[in-house]
Amino acid sequence: MSAAGLERPQVVVHAQQSLNYTVFDCKWVPRSARLLCLGSAPRGTGVLQLYELRGGRLLLLSEVSGGRSDSAGRPREAERSPLPPAEAPGNGGLRGQPQHLVSAPGPACCSGRRRSRSAAALGVGARVSFPVNLEAPEIPVYSVKGHKEIINSIDGVGGLGIGEGAPEIVTGSRDGTVKVWDPRQKETPVANMEPAQGESKRDCWTVAFGNAYNQEERVVCAGYDNGDIKLFDLRTMSLRWETNIKNGVCSVEFDRKDVNMNKLVATSLEGKFHVFDMRTQHPTKGFASVSEKAHKSTIWQVRHLPQNRDVFMTSGGAGSLHLWKYEYPAQRSKKDSEGAEMGVAGSVSLLQNVTLSTQPISSLDWSPDKKGLCVCGAFDQTVRVLIVTKLNKV
Amino acid sequence: MGDESIMYSLDQGTTKTYQIPIGHLDYKFIEKCTDVQHLEKILRVLRSGEEGCYPDLTLFCEKRIEHLAPGSRVLRKDKPAATAADFTAEEWETINGELMSWVAEMNEDDNKPEFLKTGTLHEGQDNLPPIRCSSSCLPAFQNEKFQNKQRNKKNIPRDYSEWDKFDVEKECSKIDESSEENNSKARFVSRPPPPLIEKQVNTTGMTKKEKIFIATREKEKGNEAFASGDYVEAVTYYARSISILPTAAAYNNKAQAEIKLQDWDSALQDCEKVLDMEPSNVKEIVLPVRGEAALGKAEMGNAQRKFHSKGGGSKLEDRGTQKQKESTESGLKKGTEEKKSQKTDHEGEANGYLNSNQTSESPEAGQSSRSHGAGSLSAGAAHSTSLPPAAAKLKSEGNELFKSGQFGEAVPKYSEAIEYVISVGERSPDDLSILYSNRAACYLKGGNCSDCVQDCNRALELQPFSLKPLLRRAMAYESMERYRQAYVDYKTVLQIDSSIQAANDSVNRITKTLIDQDGSSWREKLPPIPVVPIAAQLNRWDGGNFTSEVKPKSPTDINKEEQLQMNREKGEEKFRTLKNEGNDFVKKGKYDEAVNKYSECLKLNTKDCTIYTNRALCYLKLHKYEEAKQDCDHVLQIEDCNIKAFYRRALAYKGLQIYQASVDDLKKVLLIDPNVLEAKKELEEITQLLSLGGVAVADCQQKQRKKITIQEVTDEQEEGQLETAEDVVADNLSSKEAVQKCVPSRTCEKLTISEPSNAYDFGQIVNAVNASKDQSACADLLTITDPKKLPVLLSNKLEGEIFLIFIQSLAHYILGKDPGLVYQHLFYLSKAERFKVVLALLSKNEKEQVQRLFDLLTENQNHQYSLEELDSLKKVYEL
Repeated sequence: MSAAGLERPQVVVHAQQSLNYTVFDCKWVPRSARLLCLGSAPRGTGVLQLYELRGGRLLLLSEVSGGRSDSAGRPREAERSPLPPAEAPGNGGLRGQPQHLVSAPGPACCSGRRRSRSAAALGVGARVSFPVNLEAPEIPVYSVKGHKEIINSIDGVGGLGIGEGAPEIVTGSRDGTVKVWDPRQKETPVANMEPAQGESKRDCWTVAFGNAYNQEERVVCAGYDNGDIKLFDLRTMSLRWETNIKNGVCSVEFDRKDVNMNKLVATSLEGKFHVFDMRTQHPTKGFASVSEKAHKSTIWQVRHLPQNRDVFMTSGGAGSLHLWKYEYPAQRSKKDSEGAEMGVAGSVSLLQNVTLSTQPISSLDWSPDKKGLCVCGAFDQTVRVLIVTKLNKV
Repeated sequence: MGDESIMYSLDQGTTKTYQIPIGHLDYKFIEKCTDVQHLEKILRVLRSGEEGCYPDLTLFCEKRIEHLAPGSRVLRKDKPAATAADFTAEEWETINGELMSWVAEMNEDDNKPEFLKTGTLHEGQDNLPPIRCSSSCLPAFQNEKFQNKQRNKKNIPRDYSEWDKFDVEKECSKIDESSEENNSKARFVSRPPPPLIEKQVNTTGMTKKEKIFIATREKEKGNEAFASGDYVEAVTYYARSISILPTAAAYNNKAQAEIKLQDWDSALQDCEKVLDMEPSNVKEIVLPVRGEAALGKAEMGNAQRKFHSKGGGSKLEDRGTQKQKESTESGLKKGTEEKKSQKTDHEGEANGYLNSNQTSESPEAGQSSRSHGAGSLSAGAAHSTSLPPAAAKLKSEGNELFKSGQFGEAVPKYSEAIEYVISVGERSPDDLSILYSNRAACYLKGGNCSDCVQDCNRALELQPFSLKPLLRRAMAYESMERYRQAYVDYKTVLQIDSSIQAANDSVNRITKTLIDQDGSSWREKLPPIPVVPIAAQLNRWDGGNFTSEVKPKSPTDINKEEQLQMNREKGEEKFRTLKNEGNDFVKKGKYDEAVNKYSECLKLNTKDCTIYTNRALCYLKLHKYEEAKQDCDHVLQIEDCNIKAFYRRALAYKGLQIYQASVDDLKKVLLIDPNVLEAKKELEEITQLLSLGGVAVADCQQKQRKKITIQEVTDEQEEGQLETAEDVVADNLSSKEAVQKCVPSRTCEKLTISEPSNAYDFGQIVNAVNASKDQSACADLLTITDPKKLPVLLSNKLEGEIFLIFIQSLAHYILGKDPGLVYQHLFYLSKAERFKVVLALLSKNEKEQVQRLFDLLTENQNHQYSLEELDSLKKVYEL
């Protein structure tokens, strides 16, 4: 490799661990060197494992194998989620111990498309399980059957962790609804976004919180299987914006949840991703965006570097990871012919790409504490801890 | 040549996937090719291995693409993750070491008792906002939709008893209401309120580690906001970070953001804080920032009493002396340029994030300031003689101050000098201009762009097209984000002296910005770039002695032009749309309509050469060679070396069969640019035609018509674009077409038809003959072919066209020489496969041709066949 090549960030596999189950999601436990892996065993039971990074290896601290094996034919009838909760990002931040984790059953990780049968059987939950105590992960702190069908995606904000305002969790489900939950109100969701009567129900694949820069403001962005992206304003309780990117939306994420919303990345089934500049909304044209064809296959995940919102990583269906940087234009907004403010999209440049596996990388998470440390789980039943170097020089 | 042409006609000459001529898979071609898209296609073909495996050539092609377009997508390769082998031992050590120490730290933290696992979910609930939509806290302004939602939520999973109570009409009206509301919502753009970010963060009950973590995060947010140019937000986040945990870095960054906002006071305060916090080690980092802030403040003061005779309020002087003291203290006796660059370095260490931002700015700033310094120096030296001594003294004082980086101080000196010169009444525009220009430089350094622009305007009024004021005004415009004006000024500067690197760089940068801003048609929105008279260009080298030749172009002129521009824009708008419509028609092949559009365009603007060349192209397509020639003539009158016009006129001459003129024009094309392949080819062909006389006249019209590439319609903006590039750009299809077009003429000239030995050879020749409709060649072929073999040779390839050309060549060429052979051919032709089908599909006109042939045969009857035989054959031919 040439010297010039080394100027760019490099991706190094620091540790990897083979698993005897298919991993759907993995998350760092804040303020620690530990990570959670969540997946499903071939029998259809859910597995939750807690690992600690020690000396270049992953050490299994505890494991919960939950739920019962379900007959694949009747997955939805299961009363109780076979899957112990998966942690959602954002909450429980600073207490040193991960006892406050937002969690949801089922494939919080499995973003909808090409879900295998066993995965579907696993997703039976349609339940929202609330913060679990990792000391006793078998017992959900709180659990409710929140959706009629499986929950595809979950995100959390507020509380003790990232973002201002109330602690809330949003879930997106195959039943077409997006529900916002507050752990203080157990039975009913605090907001429910569903298609109006008569409209067809789309499978909601991904949800994300954003704009939580003060106590009142908050938005939820949801992506659907038909390429719809909808932005719900939770303060005014209105649909603020919607668009369609033609192909199923696999993952959406704001660059930061806790600032006045700045950028949104949405990845799609056919390997493209779109970056929306969320600062300036034009009355008719909405938000300016730039798109980039990155992977040759579905982009399963996009995750922004917590320490620098302009750097993000996408994970592809062919086992590749791409690291991107967004460059702002000289002026972020301009006036159109009628004098309305209109956003100007910047450009994205590829910083690095690596191929780790032949199977899709379904989950990706940056460590909130150590810049450049991230974990990814792939369908080849492996989790990998990666180090991305030179991120402070991009 | 012959082999090659046959090869092309067999379609082996191009690659399978993209139809790139095989010849393009070559080192020489790749080395010369500048069209990235074409190269990318070549690379894909090479990589696929369908034309064979050439690792070196592939590598070479990759390098070439990397050279031309480093960001090209084809260069992205699947790479495995980096391993220890990719790093030096030290780097690897650092990477691992850092992580290990972090892991150790984390694990240590876990064991500390302060992290008790007792926290409950409801801890800190007091600070939390109420649960969303619990009725007690529902703000009044929350709209109905929200309530609807609640209702929906309750209603949708109904049990049977609820359904009994269901009032259909009421429910329907509700839905109507809500859907109406939905619609209005969708259209209503809810403007976000101005971001109300609290400047304080509640940190009660947080441990120190948590505080550090949150403070860092807030600072990172500030950095990000700074990077995206949102300085207000950046200041807010830095303030939040400070409210949690005051750090020097946060204060310093905040000061930077405040400088950007021109909030000098706060910036100064923050700098003082940093100095208080870390008096020893960070001094060098903070000082320049502080200096800049102080300077900015002084500048503000100055701006207000710009024209007062003797500046120097006590406060101002205080600042100045204080600043000087500081700079002596820290041993930084260099100019501000150096300080700035130093700042960049230190800043980089202190705060890696801002680093990239700073470095991108500072070299240019440093460079420009240096050039300013030098500029004012030389100006002072060269012209001080003609100034009145008092003014000269003031000016040199100003220059000194400027050189030592005290721009704020220099301003009043220059102002004084200016006033003195004006009051004395000596009309020496050169000196006054320089004074204004120097003061502009001071303003520019102090960030006072509007005053800088004003001074530059004055300077330019006195001395049009002098380099420095133009450059300074450009910089001022650029920092005021008035990119179009800046672009025009930079361009003007480059006209005067193209070697100014700063101007070149800026033009590139602004071009990018403008493209981002205005899209591809950004050029059209620019104010006109003034043409610099040669005298001014020379003047520069003369050292600034302006002669009367220079036609003054005052800024007021420019203003007027801007006004005119407004009026003109409308016309231009229409012009553009017409032109685009014309181009679209060309693309669709509707040349008549395109000509109309272009003609309308020309009514609006008679000076646009591209319209003429485009229209000429259309005329060529329509075979209106005379008109095409006229258009080209017109262009050449305006612009005497327009390569396209020459090329098209050549084609027009060719169409008019004035070959000598055509050759002349083509030679001119090649003189301008020897790489125009099309012209070379055309030249070869016409030279041949010239030598052949009128033989191939009939063919040449067809050929030339197809040879023209219409590629340039899409990018005629780039006037410098040459046909060579287009030739390469041109779709594979059209280049393939062009190659094929060459075939027929060559075959008929060079194809010495040998007796075909098998059906394949025969088929080849027949195809070639058929493509060119060359009856004489066909006659040759039939003469040397044994009639008895005809059914075998034709096999199942007999088609209407082939049949027809056989009939024609038999009638026109062979019948006169050998009627017997004609009969034989006709006889065996009827035995060929597919004969009946072809016969059944003949049109009336074509049947008449066959009839005529038989009539002629009857007339020329001889011993080789009898009339009875002929009659029976006629029946076979269904006549």
